[in-house]
Amino acid sequence: MSAANFVQLLLSGLAMGAIYALTATGLFIAHLATTRLNFGQGDFLMFAAYLSMALLLAGVPVALVMAVVIVVLALMGWGLERFAIRPLDRMRALVGGQYSWILTTMGVALIVQNVVTLVWGKSSQYSPPLFSANRQNVVQVFGAGVFVEELLVIVVALVAILLFYALLFRTRQGRAIYAVAFSPETAALLGVNVRRTVVLVFVLASVLAALSGVLVGPIVTVHPFMGLVFTVKAFAVASLGGFANPLGILIGAILFGVVESFSNYINSAFGDLYPLLLVLALLVIKPSGLFGEAKTDVR
Amino acid sequence: MFAETSFSPWLRNGAYVAIAVAIALFPLLTGNTFHIHLAQTLLYTTIAVIGLNLLLGLSGQMSLGQAGFYAIGAYGSALLTAKLGWPIAAAMLGGIALAGAAGCLVGLVALRTRGLYLAMATLAFGFMVEIATQRWVDLTGGTMGIYGIPALDFGSSTMGKAYFLWVVGAVYLAVQITSDYVMHSRVRRNLLALKENESAARTAGINVPVWRTAVFAVSSVLAGTAGAFFTHQNAYINSDAFTLNLTLTMLIATVIGGLGASYGPLIGTLITLMIAELIASLYDVSFLVNGIILLTVLLLFPQGAIGLVQSVGKFLFARSSEGSETQAAPTDRAFALPVAPPSTGPTLVVENLTKRYGGVVAVRDVSLAIEYGKIHALIGPNGAGKSTLINCVSGLYRADSGRILLNGKDVSSLPAHARAHMGLSRTFQNLQLVGSLTVLENVQLGIRSTRSMPADFFSWLLSSTFEVEERARALALLQQFGIAHLAAARPEDLPYGHRKLAELARAMAEEPTVMLLDEPVAGLNDREAQEIADVIRRIRASGTSILLVEHNMEFVMKLADRVTVLDYGERIAQGAPAEVQVDPRVIEAYLGGSLEQSNSAGKLEAAS
Repeated sequence: MSAANFVQLLLSGLAMGAIYALTATGLFIAHLATTRLNFGQGDFLMFAAYLSMALLLAGVPVALVMAVVIVVLALMGWGLERFAIRPLDRMRALVGGQYSWILTTMGVALIVQNVVTLVWGKSSQYSPPLFSANRQNVVQVFGAGVFVEELLVIVVALVAILLFYALLFRTRQGRAIYAVAFSPETAALLGVNVRRTVVLVFVLASVLAALSGVLVGPIVTVHPFMGLVFTVKAFAVASLGGFANPLGILIGAILFGVVESFSNYINSAFGDLYPLLLVLALLVIKPSGLFGEAKTDVR
Repeated sequence: MFAETSFSPWLRNGAYVAIAVAIALFPLLTGNTFHIHLAQTLLYTTIAVIGLNLLLGLSGQMSLGQAGFYAIGAYGSALLTAKLGWPIAAAMLGGIALAGAAGCLVGLVALRTRGLYLAMATLAFGFMVEIATQRWVDLTGGTMGIYGIPALDFGSSTMGKAYFLWVVGAVYLAVQITSDYVMHSRVRRNLLALKENESAARTAGINVPVWRTAVFAVSSVLAGTAGAFFTHQNAYINSDAFTLNLTLTMLIATVIGGLGASYGPLIGTLITLMIAELIASLYDVSFLVNGIILLTVLLLFPQGAIGLVQSVGKFLFARSSEGSETQAAPTDRAFALPVAPPSTGPTLVVENLTKRYGGVVAVRDVSLAIEYGKIHALIGPNGAGKSTLINCVSGLYRADSGRILLNGKDVSSLPAHARAHMGLSRTFQNLQLVGSLTVLENVQLGIRSTRSMPADFFSWLLSSTFEVEERARALALLQQFGIAHLAAARPEDLPYGHRKLAELARAMAEEPTVMLLDEPVAGLNDREAQEIADVIRRIRASGTSILLVEHNMEFVMKLADRVTVLDYGERIAQGAPAEVQVDPRVIEAYLGGSLEQSNSAGKLEAAS
């Protein structure tokens, strides 16, 4: 492997890692506050990618595309919580009822997939670039040709994550989310609007899917059934962080993206499966993740 | 949902005979091979759905990877026949065994992870199998598929489809009967117990890892069986059949039929197949329809078709015969608490037990011994290490050093459920009754069955007195504790004091030699505490030794034969209640004093 090759693979890995970090943070934030999450997170991402592609092709400026996709996905996040998750609260006691949300969010994902195939068809498509003139735009970094698009995706995704962490750790809303995560009842007593916070985390999760979708469009081929892959990988990444540690998720995502990039290079047929297998094996050995905290259940 | 309708087994078995007759006659009555084909698909898919129903409905483990096990069964059998030339029966068993092995592997993940994590791990597993079927073209043929698979038709082109249906039907019936047994026996009680609270299940003597893996393996074997039938029904497979959509269809069938209901899988699969046939022409919107069905069923009819029929039935026949059986059980004969076998030495000995959490020593070098039929109280201020000690003794925590002897045998390295089998039972500070079982069933959870699993199965299948004796014993215990009238109620409908009594009855049903009671009267009023005290005295009189952790001093002093006092993890006093009460170190620990003083008191004790 040449040095140029190495830099290219590293940067592709970083770009995908940044996307995974965004998607996984969406899973993390919803799970943190509600112990539930959207099993269609990847399909929301896929929808965002298609929407962004359609708007870009229609000549809408990039900034406006971002804004529109974010607003649409935020609404979808609200709808998901309102109509597919919240109504389940009253049936928690039923047999298997505590996991109904997994199936309802997957049901919504199926509907989203079908809508996309109806509107945009089933075949793979290329989304136009966001930041550069065309997908093949290359700059020289350490002697290696690197796609400008990828570099900018990394930058934008990292900035988005940092902003998100600032929201989580530095604002009143962020503290409200942690309070609800600790105990909804206590949070309510302390004056936190629990209902609104729960809606907020699902809206935030969807917004993160929106960002990932817009950013991932130009660096991969877009197709209606790509969502599952992202859901699975984002979950793998979130488990590396033990679903408890946002920084662990970021590091895990970057590691995952880079390992995947190299493993794809070494074995093009099954390369994308090896990092997943690694994470599953790791989960068996250390269920709380690389960066998580162990919890015991003794009452 | 699991109404305890223990009617005569012949009525139930009559239903099996009816199903068998229907399956036998169906291909003879209809000449339409497509209908026979559909019936085959219905029956083998139901087999997989039954596995999912047990996994999700009873043990509460969500699997999103059933298509993976199905695919392994299908490809295993396909490759063994087409490539290696095995006979069909052997190849099917081989494929099913492979699916089971994969199930055990994934079950290992299930051991370490819960709920959401498990759902995701199984989703990833199914995803990887799907990728393998598509891309491992050398082995699976990818989307081109595998040709040259023999059809299971016993060499008859005219009757082949009927023979296949009969074989599938026989397997389905066997699986249905086994599943019904599971749902009406201790297997169900154990699975529900470990689903709701693992720690409690372990201390009640349930080997949680084994049960958890086993139920996973069973569900994967059943999915693999369906896959193997699928292969030999069509004599051709390709990767299109094994996507996440298959898993979702099976999950839809499970919830449509009614989670945890006996005939739920059959009804649910029937409905999903009918819907699939109806919308076959609308292929473009199949995902949409499936998604809408999932949402509609889960949000509007979470009890599924069986639940719907039951509610309609209840509405029409308001006079229900349910529950009359449990009340009719014989209860008026004299019954004493089970007597613990007499013993001369101490029944429970704790020797120099130490337990650390990181740098914090929660229990340091504590020793105590409990005599046969005595109550030994463990007291101390909050954070003294009482709960840690009791958790070490019951086996939920592993002590860092020291020994625990139960009836003279060293149990220090045994897991909690093994200690329970050796005569150690316990109650919890915040009650751990299984909410989805009745009070009576909770008590039955504690009763050790003497029958082996096969004997238990045949007793259920053939005898009209299945578990009658166990129920009578459980009811007698409840009667002893004065709550027999609540036998059919759910724990959450009981007042707190009665729940405490029910948990004591559950612990007593294990016929323990040593019982650990963690704050049995916390949160109770004086009258309820008095009831509990009476019950504890009766338990002592039966010869069971008791280790009692309690904050209520009046209660402890009235009841205990000996008292051990802990403070900051160390034993600061031990003796008869009257001695301990006047011990200056105990008074200091309870009324407060400077830290140095209590430390020096500890050193004094260690030096003496």
